[in-house]
Amino acid sequence: MLARQFSISSLVFVIIFLIQESVVNQLRLPGGGFSLVLLIALTWAALSTPTVGALTGFISGFLMDLSQSSSGAMGHWTLLMILACYAVAFLGFGNDNVRGNPITNVFLVSAASVLTLVAYVITGFLLGVSVGSFSRVLITIFSNGVWALLLTPLILPVVTRLHRSLFGKQAHI
Amino acid sequence: MRYGGEGRSRLLLIILIVTSLLLITLDLRGVKILDGVRSGTQNVLSPFQKAGSAVVSPFRNFFGDVTNLGQTRSEIEKLKADNAKLRNQLLQRKSADAELDQLKSVLDLAGRAGYKVLAARVISQGASTSFSQTVTIDAGTSSGVRPNMTVVSGEGLIGVVKESYSNSALIMLATDPDFKVGVRIAGTQQIGILSGRGSKRAELQLLDNQQVVKVGDVLLARGSTNNRPFVPGIPVGVISAVDNTAGSIAQTATVMLYPNFSALSVVSVVLSAGKNNPGDALVPAPPRPTPVPTVTIYATPSPSASTK
Repeated sequence: MLARQFSISSLVFVIIFLIQESVVNQLRLPGGGFSLVLLIALTWAALSTPTVGALTGFISGFLMDLSQSSSGAMGHWTLLMILACYAVAFLGFGNDNVRGNPITNVFLVSAASVLTLVAYVITGFLLGVSVGSFSRVLITIFSNGVWALLLTPLILPVVTRLHRSLFGKQAHI
Repeated sequence: MRYGGEGRSRLLLIILIVTSLLLITLDLRGVKILDGVRSGTQNVLSPFQKAGSAVVSPFRNFFGDVTNLGQTRSEIEKLKADNAKLRNQLLQRKSADAELDQLKSVLDLAGRAGYKVLAARVISQGASTSFSQTVTIDAGTSSGVRPNMTVVSGEGLIGVVKESYSNSALIMLATDPDFKVGVRIAGTQQIGILSGRGSKRAELQLLDNQQVVKVGDVLLARGSTNNRPFVPGIPVGVISAVDNTAGSIAQTATVMLYPNFSALSVVSVVLSAGKNNPGDALVPAPPRPTPVPTVTIYATPSPSASTK
């Protein structure tokens, strides 16, 4: 069961990664744009069990590390996404206030997106990754938060439907 | 609610975290296999990025155009009925013209310096979440592009080839926080190191504190051994502010880089430099001030007003 979920999730995220790299990165969006992989992974995790959340984080983080524009060490995004997705899944699991309420879901995913970027900057600083000036980092994180608030309500119904069709109502192992 | 499979879940979490830490350790120790995985991914992605670039091209500057929509609203309303098809063609034509202009200017620059260059199209920009400033071009090792080659536009230095794959290459832009280039000031030949700061403004640190720099001084690339990573004489930017803090060890200045990094579509990779150093020959001409028309008004007092 776990292997099936892992392989299906992998395929979904590879397709999202392709869309991110070949379409989203081409658009010159205000504030530097957004990461579709990050947003969908966190939304996916919010609907899953902690185990599936951690696996989702591993797949999406590994793909983000594979991106040629990734400035950090290989495994940097993997580590952060495992922790972020596990935390989001853990907070949402069994809590109807999160699962049953789209607004809570949107805020949970947006907050997690911002906190993941903050964690990336802090751990990147420890690992020697240059992230630019302080103001630039603030603008990037703020605009990513705004993009997350705008886009999560749009992607949530699609991700929920896809998640339900693949794993049933809840993703039990 | 308690989650039933907590023990198993935590074990999996630990295994995944250990795996990611192992990846980080291997990467920081420079294990080649991870580089191979990344370059393999880029080789797979390259055709998708090219296709995506072709599809997205007409909409690429949509958000920038929206800000000017108010000014052209009346024209848009008038032409809306019949211009959809023409507008699309016009956008494509504009894009082609802009690329042609960029190509002409870069070939002009390369011709004056005697550089052998390879023109390439920008097919992807780096994600903002990585905090790095990179672009991907559609020329790679199959066209002779190798890491540490200089990348220029008609306006000046764009960056350096960071990685090259079979049909694409990753360019680190001069705005990247990791970017550093040795520069000299045209005329005085004073040397210093220019560092990217994540925006069009870069920081210059001068090695000699005795001479004085001033706003408007032009910076040129100093060049590297065997012209890798930087060929000499490429215009880099112009000093926009000088930090004259008393007692500072090294003199620093803010530099406005020449190229417009937000509108890159065609760039050139310098495959080989000429035999002679171009010196200050590539210093861009200063912008010509636009003449302001002088309006002279002659006022003659009317006779009726003076009699009153």
